[in-house]
Amino acid sequence: MIWRIAWRNLWRHRTRTVIMGSAVALIYGLTLVGLGINDDGHRRMLEEATAAAGGDVLVHDEGYWDTRASDRVIRRGPDVLETVRSQPGVRLAIPRVLVNGLVSTSAASSAVHLRGVDPELEARLTDPADDLVRGSFLAGERSDPIVLGARLVEKLELELGDRVVLTASDPGGELTRALFHLSGVVETGTRELDEMMGYTSIEAAREAVGMEGMLTQVGALAAEEVSVDALAAGLRTALGERADGLEVLTWREAVPEMVGFIELDDALGYLYMGILLVVVLFSITNTFLMAVMERVRELGLLNALGLRGERIGHLLLAETVLLTGLAMAAGFALGLGGHLAVDHWGISVAAWGLEEIEISGLDVADLVFYSTIDPAKWALASALVGVATVASALYPAWKAARLSPAEAMRFYE
Amino acid sequence: MSDEAATAPVVGPEGATWSEDALIRVRGVSKVYRQGELEVPALRGVDLDLAEGEFTAMAGPSGSGKTTLLNMIGALDSPTEGAVSVAGHDVGTLDRGEAADFRLDHVGFIFQAYNLVPVLTAYENAEFTLLLRGTPKEERRERVEGLLERVGLADMMDRRPPELSGGQQQRVAIVRALATHPDIVLADEPTANLDSGTSGELLDLMQELNRKLETTFLFSTHDETVIRRARRVIRLLDGRVDRVETRDEA
Repeated sequence: MIWRIAWRNLWRHRTRTVIMGSAVALIYGLTLVGLGINDDGHRRMLEEATAAAGGDVLVHDEGYWDTRASDRVIRRGPDVLETVRSQPGVRLAIPRVLVNGLVSTSAASSAVHLRGVDPELEARLTDPADDLVRGSFLAGERSDPIVLGARLVEKLELELGDRVVLTASDPGGELTRALFHLSGVVETGTRELDEMMGYTSIEAAREAVGMEGMLTQVGALAAEEVSVDALAAGLRTALGERADGLEVLTWREAVPEMVGFIELDDALGYLYMGILLVVVLFSITNTFLMAVMERVRELGLLNALGLRGERIGHLLLAETVLLTGLAMAAGFALGLGGHLAVDHWGISVAAWGLEEIEISGLDVADLVFYSTIDPAKWALASALVGVATVASALYPAWKAARLSPAEAMRFYE
Repeated sequence: MSDEAATAPVVGPEGATWSEDALIRVRGVSKVYRQGELEVPALRGVDLDLAEGEFTAMAGPSGSGKTTLLNMIGALDSPTEGAVSVAGHDVGTLDRGEAADFRLDHVGFIFQAYNLVPVLTAYENAEFTLLLRGTPKEERRERVEGLLERVGLADMMDRRPPELSGGQQQRVAIVRALATHPDIVLADEPTANLDSGTSGELLDLMQELNRKLETTFLFSTHDETVIRRARRVIRLLDGRVDRVETRDEA
C-alpha cells in the first residue's frame, strides 16, 4: 500500500515530478558521460606521456634525468639492455643514446636534442616516422642520417641532403664534432619539439659522441598484466646486483607534471560534478519539503488512521526511491547514449581552441577525446547519485514522521 | 436541543457519577496550548464517561473544546493534566507509535473534510485501515464491499475522491471508520460541509449502524440535526462540561 500511494503521489504533480526527475537524470547522465570522457582522455594522456617519457620504466645512469649531463651514461649498455630485456614482465626494451648539443650549418647554429634510436623498436612505442613531413625516417643507405624538426630545419635553412655539423660533449667531457646529412623533416605541431628535436640511428649517435658500447637510456614497456610500479621494483632489484649507480624511474616519476595535471583535472572534474550534485540535491530537498508542507493535513490523516510516523517517513522515502529509480534509468540511458556518441565521433581538443597548450612536451591539441567505460567508476557514480538523491529526502521524511496528527489535522482547516 | 426532544440532565460537571463499565473515562482533563509566551486553555478539568453503544454528540460554540476533547479521546493529542481511558487504555500516556497503533486498533475517525487519501480509490480508502492491520485479502474484500454496498456506493468503488461528491466521500469515510470494527467512532463535524438532505441520509446510516453493529459513536458538532439525533448531548462551554442531556431514542 505504501508503494502504491507513493507511486500515485509521484504523478499528482506531474510537471514537478518530471522536472525533478529530469534534473537527477541530467546530472547522472552528464556525470557518466563526463567520467567516460575524462577516463579516456586520461588514458590517452598516459599513453602519450609514456611515449613522451620513453617507456613505462626508464633506466639511466644515476642523476641523468635531472641533469641531462653528457657524462651520465650507462657504460655497460649491452649488459644493462639485456638485463632489462630479460626481466619478467618486460614487453619491450628500447635502447637510446640521447645527445644535447648544437647543430650548425653555414647559415646558422641551434641547440638540438638528438635521439639516437632504433627505428623499429621505437615504432612499437610511438612511431616518430608518423610526424615525417619530408624525406625518410632513418631508412636510407647513408650511415650518417639525421632527421630534424621542421622549425629547426627552417632556422638552419636546410634542404634534404644538406650537411649538418653536430657539436656535443662526449662522456669524458671533451667536445666532439660529427657530420650528418639531413634525411628527413618531422613536424609534431609542438613548437618546442619542432625547434629542438632531432633523430639519428643509435649507431650514428654513438659514433658522433664516442659512446661505443654505451647507452643513455633504456626504456621498458610493461606487459599488460604487470603494474609499472612492480616492474620498476623488479628492475631495481635486478639491476642493483649487476650495475650500481643506475636510476630506475617510472613514467610517473619521469613526468610528474603530467601526473599532476591528470590528478588536478580529476579533482576539478569531481569537484564540478560534486557541486552540480549538491545544487540538485538541495533543490530536491526543497521540493520534497514543499511536498510535505502541501500534504501536512493528508499526512496527519494517515497518522490519525493508524499509520505510524516512521511509516509516513517511509512513504516519503518510497516516493524518492521511485523517482530516483526512474530518473536514474533515464540518466543511464542518457549517459550510455552520450558515451556511445562520443566514442563514435570523438571530441577534438583543437576544436576548443587549446592549440597552444603543452604538458610535459605533449601537444594537447593533438588529442581527440573519446569515451571509455570504467565499470567500477560508473558503479561508484551510480551509487553516489542514488544514495545522495535518496538521502536528500531524509530530512523531509523525518519532518513528516514527526508531524503531530492533531496539529497536522488542524492545518488548512 | 429541540423542545420536543425529551431532555433531562443526568450528570453535571460536578458531582459526576461514573459507571464501572464505561468505555471512555475522562478524568480532570485540561489542555493548554502555548502560542509563544501566551497560554491558551482549551479544556479545563473535564470529567466524562461514555458507555459502549452510545450515540453521543458533543455540542458547543467554537472554541468550547469539542475537537480538543475528541482528539484526547482519539489519542491524537495528549492532555496537559488529567487522564483519558478508552477501552481500558490510558491513552494520554501512549507514545507516538503506541498512539497510532491504539487508533488503528480501537478508533474509527470521520473528519469534517479532506477525509480521504486523494490518490486512492473509494475501495482502497475504505480498506486502508484493514490493510494496516494486516487483515487477509478475502476478509478485507468481504467487509469493505459489504459496507460500501450498504452505504450505496457499490458501483463507485473504483472512483477516486475528486470523482465523488462530498456526501459520497463521507460515506466512504464512514465505511473506513467501521471496517475495522472499532470500539468507538469519533466524528468531528461530519456533516459540516454537507447539505441538509445528505446530512440526514448520513445520520440515518450512522444510526442504523449504531443500532445494528452496536458501534459507539461520539460526535463533535454544531449541527442541530446531529444534536437532535443523539441519545446523549454533552454541552461544552469554555473548555468545561456545561451540562449533559439525555433523551429517549431519537
